[in-house]
Amino acid sequence: MRRALLAFALALVPAVAAAQFNLNINKILDTGKNIVDATKDVNEKQEADIGAEYAAVLLGASPLLVNPEVQRYVNRVGRWLSLNSERPDLNWQFGVLDTGTINAFSTPGGYVLISRGLLERLHNEAELAGVLAHEVAHVVKKHHLTAMKKGKGMEAGANILSMYLDQQKSAAAKEKLVGGMKEIMLRGLDKDDEFEADRMGVVIAARAGYDPYGLPSVIQMLQASNPKDSDLALMFETHPAPGARLDALDRAIGGRLDRFAKQPQAAERYAGVMRAKP
Amino acid sequence: MRIALALLVLLAAPAFAQETGYAVRDTEIKKEPYSDAQTLGTLAEKAQVKVLDRQNGWMQIESGTQAGWVRMLAIRMDTGSSGFMSGFKSLFSVARTGSSGRAVTTGVRGLDKEDIKNAKPNPEEVKKLAGFAASRSDAEKFAASNPKLANQKIDYLQAAK
Repeated sequence: MRRALLAFALALVPAVAAAQFNLNINKILDTGKNIVDATKDVNEKQEADIGAEYAAVLLGASPLLVNPEVQRYVNRVGRWLSLNSERPDLNWQFGVLDTGTINAFSTPGGYVLISRGLLERLHNEAELAGVLAHEVAHVVKKHHLTAMKKGKGMEAGANILSMYLDQQKSAAAKEKLVGGMKEIMLRGLDKDDEFEADRMGVVIAARAGYDPYGLPSVIQMLQASNPKDSDLALMFETHPAPGARLDALDRAIGGRLDRFAKQPQAAERYAGVMRAKP
Repeated sequence: MRIALALLVLLAAPAFAQETGYAVRDTEIKKEPYSDAQTLGTLAEKAQVKVLDRQNGWMQIESGTQAGWVRMLAIRMDTGSSGFMSGFKSLFSVARTGSSGRAVTTGVRGLDKEDIKNAKPNPEEVKKLAGFAASRSDAEKFAASNPKLANQKIDYLQAAK
């Protein structure tokens, strides 16, 4: 339906422009673009619904770590970061997945999940903040919705998305949506979106008062890791190589964040929470 | 048995912890981890380094006869050079094993492609997640506690051309 509408709108463009001299063609083209721009069609409530379905799939693959202290701590750090983003009023929820795998995920609407395996490899709160801020950036820029729209499966992602939104939560539409989400989790986001989330992540962490070099430290840790470690396989397959991410951050940061480099890393607080018995 | 093994690995850990890397460009070696600290010399592009410490964007390195602090992002790590135990892996896991037998099974639980392909949505866990959420005021109180996190106005970085 939406596609037909777009084809119709585009077909009209030449005729209308020819007939009305003063008409702004760009404006018409923009309107045509908006019809297929699924990320713009999704309102905040729908985004949160899609995000909850998405989070349910991840939590179906790996449950939450049974450690309320760690869960609340990660939420405080994450919520503070989100308050320093462009979308402070979303219903932000953070969680730790009980898996030794090293990875972190976000889903539309403000869900952010980090694995126990990654938490265990971090050295301080600024590193945690760097990872969470990278995920917050994906949510702020709606990278997952863009990826869903571009989905290349049997059915175009934009169709799946609009079907879900039109037929709010019919079982068949939901099943297709879950399939589309799994495809993105396995394939990863657009590489440029990952680089953008890295650049935004260091800034969001610095805005929140942390040492901005937490995220680069984590990426260096990943680079130094054994690439054959099966705990890293999915993360490495769905992200640009650590070396490329560090090169891009090196060029983008230069000396621009020097004045924030002395901000806290909060290593003692991090150690205190991680060492507490669940 | 697993606890004994974990302790053994824990004791052995320092022997593994020697990260190495190399410089991706010529970079100044500083006496201390600050941009305005005394410059001791230049670390040449491709120079091999041993990483001794990290501090706020700086890395303490040794390279042949040279030693000091260089910008962290001038260094790339050698793949596979990380210590077997970095961060809190041992501490967290040992603590978990100590409190319940469950850690033994959770310790090996993965999250790979197959797990995602086969995942059945679990809305109950999503509800649980909401129970841990922090409010705006929770987060602000947390930021005001020690160490204080003071927010800053900073523009996003542009991608380098």
